[in-house]
Amino acid sequence: MSDAADQQGEGAASAARATALRGARELAQAISTVERGGAAADALIQEALTQLAQRSGAGAVVIGVTGPPGAGKSTLVGALADHARAAGRRVAILAVDPSSAVSGGALLGDRVRVEERPGDEGRFMRSIATRGSGRTLSHAAAAASILLEAAGFDLLFIETVGAGQADLGIVRLADLVLLVEGPEGGDEVQAMKAGILESADLVVVNKGDRPGAERAVERLRSGLALGAAAPEVLLVSATEGSGVRELLSALETLAVAQATGGQQRRVAAHLAAAVEERAVRRLRDAESDGRLAELARSIACGERPISGAVDELLR
Amino acid sequence: MVERPTPIRVLIAKPGLDGHDRGAKVLARGLRDEGFEVIYTGIRRSTEAIVAAAIEEDVDVVGCSILSGAHATLLPKVVAGLREAGASDVLVVAGGIIPEDDRAGLVAAGVAAIFGPGSTIAEIATYLRAHVRRR
Repeated sequence: MSDAADQQGEGAASAARATALRGARELAQAISTVERGGAAADALIQEALTQLAQRSGAGAVVIGVTGPPGAGKSTLVGALADHARAAGRRVAILAVDPSSAVSGGALLGDRVRVEERPGDEGRFMRSIATRGSGRTLSHAAAAASILLEAAGFDLLFIETVGAGQADLGIVRLADLVLLVEGPEGGDEVQAMKAGILESADLVVVNKGDRPGAERAVERLRSGLALGAAAPEVLLVSATEGSGVRELLSALETLAVAQATGGQQRRVAAHLAAAVEERAVRRLRDAESDGRLAELARSIACGERPISGAVDELLR
Repeated sequence: MVERPTPIRVLIAKPGLDGHDRGAKVLARGLRDEGFEVIYTGIRRSTEAIVAAAIEEDVDVVGCSILSGAHATLLPKVVAGLREAGASDVLVVAGGIIPEDDRAGLVAAGVAAIFGPGSTIAEIATYLRAHVRRR
């Protein structure tokens, strides 16, 4: 190839890269807007829903990934994303980490565990902090997933903070919930407790290369078998790649079988998050301006019934 | 609906081949305590990966920590990549071991500030608050 043709080829590649980056930037800024909330956020969500309504086809599958810290959720999501990309899916990852209640800041570290694939337009990853939600999901997670679906991503992984048994926001939002346990995880009694395990559509024991992993699978299976409709328990090793392909295909099969809730599910989750947010804000306002203390005082000295005070706080 | 307060978002990156990330981690943790949302990318990232991550995360600041001596090559690439993506408003700052003689060149290439050893978290936080674009 002549130098000129070489340069031309390089110029075209760089132009394509710039176009891809500019598209990603627009989407990224839209996600920031829905994280901020307000009228601009509502307009973006509405616009995305209008686009989606005009589109035919099955729509995106949203997979919630939860499980205890250190189980290897991020590494596994990265491995699943690579396999799904190889199979031609357009994949987005939303990784949620907690905000500090003290400073409001957050350390979002999930990118450390997920291989970067710069230049791949069919892949997008965003870290979001829980901000004021005080939960394992951000208030903006549902809205962000609506925007990602409208942008053409057909497989979304939402990784929650995963702080334990009550991770139910993700159950509302996701079409499928994948619970990731480590090789020490899930004794039989825990598997019988109410909580995220009864909402999981699929359970995996990660770090399958470590000793004890197969026993963890057995423990979880026998605990779950006592209930009706026990989810399948699979063994994977995200770092070695074993079982990841089988896991992805099990997820795809479940997604087809369960005829996913689609956008309406995401909109309902967004509404629920907005209602919760407003209620929590009312409570915090009442705390900071002294109304909560005043209501508590009047209840304590019998001037007011408890239910009346609750009504007043929510009004 | 009321808008939520939005923390400043900072990507802390380690471009190139050195694996010494103690300083980067101290800074990431410190800025978290100062109320920033810090995205840490881990060690040995290519400049392309850093630019792509900065775009996807819609950060206000990219902070690069370099101890390998390759700053003169790597930092201008990050600045150029952001510019190419239409994100020249993202502040690029650097830390690590960067000789005095190299600083003017880096500033000319678009690096906004350089924080050497001895810089405090408070000093860096104050600088960033004063210099990020506000959206």
